[in-house]
Amino acid sequence: MLLDLSEEHREHLAFLPQVDSAGKLNVSSDTVQHGVEGLTYLLTESSKLMISELDFQDSVFVLGFSEELNKLLLQLYLDNRKEIRTILNELAPDLPTYHSLEWRLDVQLASRSLRQQIKPTVTFKLHLNHNGEHNTKVLQTDPATLLHLVQQLEQALEEMKTNHCRRVVRNIK
Amino acid sequence: MELSESVQRGFQTLADPGSFDSNAFALLLRAAFQSLLDAQADEAVLDHPDLKHIDPVVLKCCHAAAATYILEAGKHRADKSTLSTYLEDCKFDRERIELFCTEYQNNKNSLESLLESIGKSLPHITDVSWRLEYQIKTNQLHKMYRPAYLVTLNVENTDSQSYPEISFSCNMEQLQDLVGKLKDASKSLERATQL
Repeated sequence: MLLDLSEEHREHLAFLPQVDSAGKLNVSSDTVQHGVEGLTYLLTESSKLMISELDFQDSVFVLGFSEELNKLLLQLYLDNRKEIRTILNELAPDLPTYHSLEWRLDVQLASRSLRQQIKPTVTFKLHLNHNGEHNTKVLQTDPATLLHLVQQLEQALEEMKTNHCRRVVRNIK
Repeated sequence: MELSESVQRGFQTLADPGSFDSNAFALLLRAAFQSLLDAQADEAVLDHPDLKHIDPVVLKCCHAAAATYILEAGKHRADKSTLSTYLEDCKFDRERIELFCTEYQNNKNSLESLLESIGKSLPHITDVSWRLEYQIKTNQLHKMYRPAYLVTLNVENTDSQSYPEISFSCNMEQLQDLVGKLKDASKSLERATQL
């Protein structure tokens, strides 16, 4: 799949070969900005679509750059692709994601309304990340519900190993 | 157990066969337990025809005294001898003491459950739901092809009677981490109960 680079994009990127080896730029700041934006667009679109090496090379070829510059751009793409995809992933509509869980066992011995109790409880601190913010929630449960939670979530993990899920994973590529 | 004068006075009236005959006593006793433990208890629990002959103010006083004592006894896990001793001090006859202790014994579990549930605690997890999805693409990222879980914890708040939910997403590793930690907690619990 080839990248679709519009006229505007090509114009922006056209400035790249003019950067001399010493790195000094004798052009207006606008041109530099456009150049950077063009380069960014090239890399993010390529990463987003996860295009192959060959497709990337072909897409860049139309810009008419030198062999050396093309090679450089390809390397830049391959080196940074994974990280760019990680960052793009964070832009998606998002729910809080699990970070970690701390737990503690307590036994309630008495309260204002009832003395001489032996009431085991499990207290959790659930750490979640949301939009770059770290949230914690303090929760509690009883032993029976804890066992139920473990059982339910183990079933959830088991699902991925079923034939149905394996077939889906194999066939949707 | 510290009981106020009004409780004592109420009980002394209840003990007096002149104010409360056996039938009236039994009815009032049952009414006291009912109004404490029965969630659907009628406000007219004292409106029994066999209690009509008693002055409503006296009726209310004695009902309140009985209810207060029942709660205090429940709170302190009073045993039969404690109950008997106090009732004897209030001049109850043997028969009434026996009736009180029997009614108390019958309702003890419900009473203790009720008392246990009163009080503040942290939000309590009651259930969990999960959803497994296979992510294909977003408008920002194509060709994702990875499984993801959405987990929702159902939570109950004791004081506000609200039922918020806590939802979060996680990948397979994160869910394995979560399950691992939950299993650690439950193994620890098992070991603690065997000590």
